[in-house]
Amino acid sequence: MDAAAVWVTLKLASITVLLLLLFGLPLAWWLAHTRSRLKVPMEAVTALPLVLPPTVLGFYLLIMLGAHGPFGKMWISLTGHPLSFSFTGLVIASCLYSLPFVVQPLQAAFEKLDQHALEAAWTLGASHLRAFFTVVVPQARRGLLTAIVLGFAHTVGEFGVVLMVGGNIPGQTQVLSIAIYEHVEVLEYGAAHKLSAVLLLFSFVVLFIVYGLNRRWHGGLRV
Amino acid sequence: MSGLQARVALRRGNFELEVSLHLPPRGITALLGPSGSGKSSVLRMLAGLDRPHAGHITQGDTIWYDQQKKIFLPPQQRRIGMVFQDYALFSHLSVADNVGYGLPRTGRRAHVEQWLKRLHLDKHAEHYPTQLSGGQRQRVALARALATDPDMLLLDEPFSAIDVSLRQNLRYQLKTLVADTNCPVVIVSHHLEDALLLADQVGVMIDGHILQFGATQDVFMRPNCRHVAQVLGWHNFLPVRSIAGHTVSGAWGELFMNNEADVATAWIGIRPEHLRIATAEQAGVAATVMAIHQLGAIRAVQCGLKDGTQVEMHTPWDAPVPVAGSAVRLHLPLAYARALPNCVLPGMEHARQKAQAEQQRVHSSRSGSR
Repeated sequence: MDAAAVWVTLKLASITVLLLLLFGLPLAWWLAHTRSRLKVPMEAVTALPLVLPPTVLGFYLLIMLGAHGPFGKMWISLTGHPLSFSFTGLVIASCLYSLPFVVQPLQAAFEKLDQHALEAAWTLGASHLRAFFTVVVPQARRGLLTAIVLGFAHTVGEFGVVLMVGGNIPGQTQVLSIAIYEHVEVLEYGAAHKLSAVLLLFSFVVLFIVYGLNRRWHGGLRV
Repeated sequence: MSGLQARVALRRGNFELEVSLHLPPRGITALLGPSGSGKSSVLRMLAGLDRPHAGHITQGDTIWYDQQKKIFLPPQQRRIGMVFQDYALFSHLSVADNVGYGLPRTGRRAHVEQWLKRLHLDKHAEHYPTQLSGGQRQRVALARALATDPDMLLLDEPFSAIDVSLRQNLRYQLKTLVADTNCPVVIVSHHLEDALLLADQVGVMIDGHILQFGATQDVFMRPNCRHVAQVLGWHNFLPVRSIAGHTVSGAWGELFMNNEADVATAWIGIRPEHLRIATAEQAGVAATVMAIHQLGAIRAVQCGLKDGTQVEMHTPWDAPVPVAGSAVRLHLPLAYARALPNCVLPGMEHARQKAQAEQQRVHSSRSGSR
């Protein structure tokens, strides 16, 4: 049962980060460069999950994704399955929950970007895509790494939203944090200890790697 | 190849820019002007980094931009080399990788080596931009731009990031390098020395318009109006009150000119290095020495004329100069003193006409109500 929880957690976090990069990169780019009046409201909306209690976010998501909610209804008519208490629903919830942790570091990195270097790449014939991967990504790599790691770690650590939207279905929606909670509830302290230690170690190793890389990139390559 | 033909217009808030440029297939053109005059905008529009609101740009046989035909080539398709004011080097790439960025993969290494050697950068091939001096960075930026064999080279204030003491040498280097370039070169600067030393032709840009364009020496010697002269380093302007044949006069005195002065003459302009203290037999304008400043090899002498106009005279550092407070007569050699009208900016003319029309409207509505 615990191995299933680890698997669900890793799968959820990986998919969430991938999706968030897909949507977060353009969103962060837009936020960093736009002069639109929509910028400030969009920034506020993006940051909402930072301050909302997870249960509030989870509650609204449950209403939206539930069998009678607008998205839930649409989803059922499209696929025949409900969104709430499913892995797909969990992915949607996690994306919203972890959005600021991906978008904000990216936005900060894009705002610091040397705009002239990007333009120089264009004048040298580089397509927008090539300029993005050869100039923007290397220059923003610290922000990119921070976004990936924070997005992943934050999804691994979520509890309230998962409980509200995903429930506790072993092998499907039961993630690590909920498995630990359940172990404690039925007084299986040994199993709770093991899982908690895994999470603790994981979090430390991830942060250690991030700080190490940031330091190296800062010193070694003279960025 | 017929060089570059361009007419571009741009509006940004209250700022209006309208510029026509005709450049020969080779040679260096400098756009001089104060900051905010729009010269960098012109460069960015030529590069395709900014889009004009109207006009057209044709380079050789290629249309880069045509508002009516709805053509706009992005920078990628214009085959330009651009050197940015801050050089915009790729900080995460080595010098060699910077220079090779715009080159096709085949033959890249040999081509890069050739350019590094040519610009004396071969020792720095593996270095990163932050490890280089300002002059070396400029050379990397130049090599990166020239390596792609561009159809046009654009330089935005190429010396502003470099110590004043090193600039002159780098200007010489740039001149020899660019002399071999087989494409039009446009250099934007607010340093007169850049234009004087490098450019075959100069455009003086003020407030979004090129007010004078021509061969460098010609423009520097014969500015066509006061603001242009000011941009070109003519510091001294004597206000003219009346013109009678060859004689122009103001509250400061009068001057007999070589030619009959134009009726539009509003100023007598003269460069500080052409002003002299009059000898006994020379005609002169009465003045009082106010202050003397030592500027290295030259001495700047500030004088006040009768009407309060201040003028500055540059003399060799060892030339005798009367002490501050003494009365002198200043000689304006006629070959160098120039009768200048006020500049007419197209924008100003437009504003004047609008004000006039407004006045007339108010006037007629008043007389109508009477």
